[in-house]
Amino acid sequence: MELFLQQVFNGLTLGSVYTLVAIGLTLVFGILHIPNFAHGALYLIGGYVTLVVMQSTGVHYFIAILASILVVAALGVLMERLVFNPLRNSPPIHDKIAAIGLVLFFEALVQLIWGTEYQRMITPFDNNISIAGVSMTSQRILVIVVAVVTVFLLTLFLKKTMIGASIMAMAQNREGAFLVGINANAVAMMTFAISGALAALAASLASPINLVFPAMGHLVILKAFVVVIIGGMGSIPGAIVAGLLLGMTESMGATYISNDYKDMIAFLLLIVIMTVRPKGLFAKGVY
Amino acid sequence: MHSLKKSLFGSFLLLMLLILGACGSGEEANDADAKSGGSGGSGGEVTIGYSGPLSGPAASYGEETLKGLKIAVEDINEAGGFEVDGKTYTYKLETIDDKYLPNETAANAKRLVQEEKAKFIYSPHSGGIYAMQVFNEMEDFIIMGYTSEPGVTDQGNKLNVRIPPRYDQYLEPFTEYEMEKFGKKIAFLPTASQYGKDWAEMLKPVWEEKGGEVVFNESIDFSKDTDFQTIVANALEEKPDVLFIGGPSEPTALVAKQARDLGFEGGFLIMDQAKLDEMAAVLGGNYDMLEGAISTTPLIHTEFPGTEAYIKKYKENNDRDPSAESAFHYVSLYVLTEAMKAAGSVDDTKAIMAAFDEGAKNLPEDKQVYMIPEVGEDGGFGSMLRIAYVENGEIQVMEK
Repeated sequence: MELFLQQVFNGLTLGSVYTLVAIGLTLVFGILHIPNFAHGALYLIGGYVTLVVMQSTGVHYFIAILASILVVAALGVLMERLVFNPLRNSPPIHDKIAAIGLVLFFEALVQLIWGTEYQRMITPFDNNISIAGVSMTSQRILVIVVAVVTVFLLTLFLKKTMIGASIMAMAQNREGAFLVGINANAVAMMTFAISGALAALAASLASPINLVFPAMGHLVILKAFVVVIIGGMGSIPGAIVAGLLLGMTESMGATYISNDYKDMIAFLLLIVIMTVRPKGLFAKGVY
Repeated sequence: MHSLKKSLFGSFLLLMLLILGACGSGEEANDADAKSGGSGGSGGEVTIGYSGPLSGPAASYGEETLKGLKIAVEDINEAGGFEVDGKTYTYKLETIDDKYLPNETAANAKRLVQEEKAKFIYSPHSGGIYAMQVFNEMEDFIIMGYTSEPGVTDQGNKLNVRIPPRYDQYLEPFTEYEMEKFGKKIAFLPTASQYGKDWAEMLKPVWEEKGGEVVFNESIDFSKDTDFQTIVANALEEKPDVLFIGGPSEPTALVAKQARDLGFEGGFLIMDQAKLDEMAAVLGGNYDMLEGAISTTPLIHTEFPGTEAYIKKYKENNDRDPSAESAFHYVSLYVLTEAMKAAGSVDDTKAIMAAFDEGAKNLPEDKQVYMIPEVGEDGGFGSMLRIAYVENGEIQVMEK
């Protein structure tokens, strides 16, 4: 029973990070109509900025996260302006090529500036706690709490504010949004900014548990793609449910079946869901 | 839109032309060098090929191996090169990224042989070495392999060098130490690479023969996972006394940390890929969490005649301690140089292979970052067993 609870907790931590990354990915999908491969690069840079800000200025972890969120959000906007906006009328394949180019560029850039070494982010939340036989560090609890709060606030923003509503409108029907006078450029920039901010937040939360290194974006983005596909492209509730589902599948699969097969179990899940619901769990069938 | 595409295409063409131009002029310069050198008693350049992971999750490891090689090449060239059969040669290092993928290593090796006429190709991973062994005798180049995998020298390949000590000699001393200190139950959590699996497979019979029991046996894929809490919790559920861990130093250190976070108090038997000092560096700079760990001796705790000078030289350009990988690469190029001198040739691969043992014995004392007492018939460098363990928060070197 203790092991079960421990693995539920581990699954929640994993799932929270996947969810945060996947929501950013799914939001941008609404604008680009392609998966943004460069999202992993934003995650990567988010981790490094937090680390560098903490190391060079000695500020508190939370302030470093805030700085990282601002930097990466700005980078997201730049990406939209300089790369994706000029390509908006070209075939989707151009967006894809551009996104892959961005990933390669940013990974090489990070490697050039900060080197290939693995680095560890040390935060004030490294202490151990044990509740009902489940061992955890405060950092892991922080990951879960922040993820829940962020998702809640984001949902409120998208549902209750005008800007949020225009983002949703754009994702559902681009022409329709134009007709009612939504400023497409502003919405696109806004979406990229939110997506970047979420990536930076996820990276900053996960880095103290993992490590900071040039390939970290790769690893998480693969999982986030699976989450977005399972949840349904462009669906936020889908990303939340699928993120937690994948996290749980990984920890439970590793525990009760075999660690060596846990990825297989996750992809088996993907195949089953795709077979039953080809557009994903929560697809709205907009595209 | 159309004009944009046109201009893009135009600039692309321009870029390609520029690159081609640059390549062309580079080659001409080299040719000129070689020609003018030939007339003046100099033999020109000897190409050293390198194919290793310079991007991706293993990039850090690849860079480290390359650093040692670069320092050696710089040193030798700055000292005016080396003399073989009356002619003076310098080294030229050609590196290609293989992303840790054996198939890429093979392709890179072909390129290095065909384009650069390389006779010596370094690779720091067993997969890549095995891939090159398929054709290296036919294409006539020597593999300078950095892997402790005993299998690479058991293939009977005539042009193959193994630089670090084989790992199978660590199995018994590691097992004896951990078993005596902590107990008979061990959980296996090695890296999921071929090398990790082979290590585990060889350790298992040794552990069991001494009356021990393997209570958990799974592996961690460091190229896919970054959080190990799940698998570590599962392993600890079997109440092991010792954990067998290994892989790249830093993530391996995280595995150890997460085990301690989950309340593990036993010892760690650590594969030779991970280095204690590098692990400690990400664990707050001390050995507290690694209490009871046994592994190979970190370079900074090694005392051979040339070790100190090498560490100093390395630190001039890097703000961290060098690892064994870089040092072994450094030494190996000097051994290769001595072997060429002894063979009296820079391209007769068979003669150079046969002269390796003599080369190791001729290694100048100030270059002995590691002492290489001999090079075996199979091309394996013989080295002394170097084992260290952590006791009371400090590294202790085991006398053997």
